[in-house]
Amino acid sequence: MQFNPCMKHKLIRNSVRHFAETELAPIAAEIDRNATFPLDVIEKMKKLNYFGLQVPKEFGGAAMDSISAAIVMEEISRVCAAIGLCVTVHNGVAVYPFLQFATPEQKKHYLPKLANGEMIGAFSLTEANAGSDSASVETTAVKKNQEYILNGTKIFVTNGGICELALIFALTVSDPTRLQSSVFIVESKYAGFLRGELENLCGMRANPVSSLFLEDCRVPGKNLLGKLGDGMKIGMTTLDNGRIGVAAQALGIAQGAFEAAVKYAKERQQFKKPIASLQTIQNYIADMATELAAARLLLYRVCSLKDEGAPFGCEAAMAKLYCSQVAATTTSLAVQIHGGYGYSKEYDVERYFRDAKVTEIYEGTSEIQRLVIARSVLSNLAL
Amino acid sequence: MLNLVVCLKQVPMVTELPWDAKTGTLRRDLATGMMNPACKHALEATLQIKEKFSAKITAITMGPPVAEEILREALALGADRAILICDKLLAGSDTYATSLVLTAAIKKECPKFDLILCGAYTADSETAQVGPQLAEELDLPAAAYVERLEIKNRTLRVRRLVDNFRETLEMEFPALVTVSMENYRPRYTELMGLENAFDENDVIVLNAAALGINASLFKKQGSRTKVRKVFLRKAQKENVILQGTASAVVNEFLNQYQRKISAAIGKSIEGKKLNDEE
Amino acid sequence: MMKSKQKSIWVFGDYRNYYQNRVTLQLISKAMDIAKTINAEVCALVFGHEIDEWIMEYTAHGADRILAIDDPALQSYSTEKYLAIIENLAKERKPEIILIGATDFGREFAPRLAKRLKTGLSADCVGLDITEDGLLLQIAPSFGGNMLAEIVTEFHRPQMATVRPGTFKEIPHNYTRKALVERLPLMKKLPKSRVRLVEYERSVEKEHTIENASVIVCGGRGMGNKEKFKKLLDLARLLGGDVGATRPVVYAGWADHGVLVGQAGKHIKPKILFSFGISGAIQHTAGLGEADFIVAINKNPQAPMMKMADVAIVADASDVLNTLIKELKKRIRE
Repeated sequence: MQFNPCMKHKLIRNSVRHFAETELAPIAAEIDRNATFPLDVIEKMKKLNYFGLQVPKEFGGAAMDSISAAIVMEEISRVCAAIGLCVTVHNGVAVYPFLQFATPEQKKHYLPKLANGEMIGAFSLTEANAGSDSASVETTAVKKNQEYILNGTKIFVTNGGICELALIFALTVSDPTRLQSSVFIVESKYAGFLRGELENLCGMRANPVSSLFLEDCRVPGKNLLGKLGDGMKIGMTTLDNGRIGVAAQALGIAQGAFEAAVKYAKERQQFKKPIASLQTIQNYIADMATELAAARLLLYRVCSLKDEGAPFGCEAAMAKLYCSQVAATTTSLAVQIHGGYGYSKEYDVERYFRDAKVTEIYEGTSEIQRLVIARSVLSNLAL
Repeated sequence: MLNLVVCLKQVPMVTELPWDAKTGTLRRDLATGMMNPACKHALEATLQIKEKFSAKITAITMGPPVAEEILREALALGADRAILICDKLLAGSDTYATSLVLTAAIKKECPKFDLILCGAYTADSETAQVGPQLAEELDLPAAAYVERLEIKNRTLRVRRLVDNFRETLEMEFPALVTVSMENYRPRYTELMGLENAFDENDVIVLNAAALGINASLFKKQGSRTKVRKVFLRKAQKENVILQGTASAVVNEFLNQYQRKISAAIGKSIEGKKLNDEE
Repeated sequence: MMKSKQKSIWVFGDYRNYYQNRVTLQLISKAMDIAKTINAEVCALVFGHEIDEWIMEYTAHGADRILAIDDPALQSYSTEKYLAIIENLAKERKPEIILIGATDFGREFAPRLAKRLKTGLSADCVGLDITEDGLLLQIAPSFGGNMLAEIVTEFHRPQMATVRPGTFKEIPHNYTRKALVERLPLMKKLPKSRVRLVEYERSVEKEHTIENASVIVCGGRGMGNKEKFKKLLDLARLLGGDVGATRPVVYAGWADHGVLVGQAGKHIKPKILFSFGISGAIQHTAGLGEADFIVAINKNPQAPMMKMADVAIVADASDVLNTLIKELKKRIRE
């Protein structure tokens, strides 16, 4: 059990932090305010392998271990959560299914382009009637000659506004007695692939989240990912992995808010002394620091399990649940510590507060995470 | 194939200068380190040479074990191999001693170098002396504060601005340059590079004995200067606070400090006392 | 008259840019002080071609002796030639101390000379003194001027230091002063220069002035936008100074990297520093240790930059800038 970061992890953290502070920090507030996606900075990130974190070297990826990948996601989110989201979703739930389920031909064709960012990926499961109840998707995929024809609407698709590739979950058999869903690799250039308006969100505003409309969208037959009926399996496996990414994001958001709160507490003077000298504030700082430390260990542990090849679904749910909670409480406290200034857009903490909330919702709400954990615990007990 | 050597130094991050309040000295062991900014520029210049010509880069540093971090960073960016000179005996060396040690390592590990690049000065000691002293030890033609390098066969042409003179100089390999921060903005490190810097490449660690340096030799031939005392420069600021409308504070400021400002700018700002309306 | 065993303090005559660069005169003045304490003579070194003007100047400003070599071969400064010449002279005459101005040339030349003479050297000193045990105490800055070290060269001679221009004050020109001028021949075996000066020109653009500027007007992101930031130049011009910037400003593209002030930027030593809309991240303030007088303008009175300032003006940076420009235009008299 290795608790201290090794030199490589330290250097990766320093490197990504340097990039984030230099390139993302100056624009983070503005892109949030205007809800714009900074294409030029994203281009720079592509060249630095941020879109191929765990893709094997043979496909042009950085082939990083899971802790290294988590550090990258954390450090970007520490400065600009919306861009962190882009990188996390791409790596965690768009690229990952290829690594696990794609055929050698699919890997050869798509992984290099995903790794160098030529294609940014999205994962589209959610629909208007299928959120936590992901089995209730209504998008259909009908085989016709050598193609599948997809029809349906996916909502709240992260990276939806700009993705060149989307993994679409669709019903391939909709007989209520034997529902079967499958996953399709859909390129944005296919006929019948349409993007909706960008969502107007509370936080993560610079991320191009949108709906995707499939209107008789023609998908080549060879773009079925896995086998027919693998939808549930691919979905659950992918989300287990995605949770690690969300936990890392949440950790980064919490870390950024925490640092801002501590800095402010040292500078802000009331009653002729810094507020950091007041016991109440010190209590807040102590709680935030402790929770961050615990959250980080939980995250790195699940990364270790994953790299060892051990099952990690329950631990991933714990990490996602806990890190997102810590993000929510830390950012709220950070705003509180900033007082009135924390409520103003002059300071960054209100953006962290808004960005944090969604980490408790997407890729499985906290309620679902609890369900997953409880099931895992109870399945070991005879009831 | 050009044989390039780049000398690097790990310096404490100013963000984290941990002072020992009692002794007034810097707790270097507690400070987080970073690659000295000017060294980053020197490394960038080295990498750009490698991109243009076929070259092999050896990164070298003298420091405590943690200095290995900057060598890994150099490897991640494109250095081919790295040397860490690490020995307690060498701690506290001045530039005279440092250049002696670096010379021994270079003579041992890369004696057939074509060009040595150093940063113009370090963010901590700021002497800018190691480069020139290394050149002297190795008896090399050298130029400091170089902004641009051009190589044609075995001739090096450099451009620099020194004492308000724009100079273009030429010299033959082997040579040494120190690189200023005017140009050669350091590139970001690719994540792939960082991954590979730990798998594939090794850092050669040399101690003093490996360089043929023992304690008595070093005492005789090493540092010539000695630091007797070190202290924080504490500026006692009165910290006068002015508040109000822009017009009110500006007038108050100019009235109170007109002498100081006039002295600094060499012109009188006394203004027209009788009639302020223009 | 010189006693045969009297100690000698050598001051390198860095006469290039003579009218802007007074460091040699400043060092001669300080050398005179030191000379009194350790009973030495002050000796200026002048190497070049057609150097009579400098010989007269150094004499008038306090040198006891001049070692002059006047030869067409020394038309331009040459590190290699000077090294050979001084090595030769030093072997013969054994100076106690050699002082060199910390100009760009001095800072490149002095370390090589110190190595050549196998002695110690301190860089960019901001103070010199004599210790109780008669050694030259060299006070050198580090960490952007936040730290000072007192350094000595205990066992080796000559004791050497490069000294920051402006540290000492020259004594006024006195044409009645006399010095012993030794016009020496150029040594026969002068090494051929391995570094060839292909071309040079006096820099017309005022570059590097931020490091020498006595007034600096520095701006941060608190200025709001590029247009408002650019107005700092108007104030700088009025005050005969230069504009500086923080790192976020440079990366936002409002200013060039050449005017970055801070740990990784230019080392500035202004008499007055104006800091507009800068919060005071430590990577920036680390570079401000040697500003004599700091005026900070920020609407946040708690910003670290405001605490570091001699005068902290709590107001909108851009408003104050515009008002200050307007008022100064009214008040400045040539």
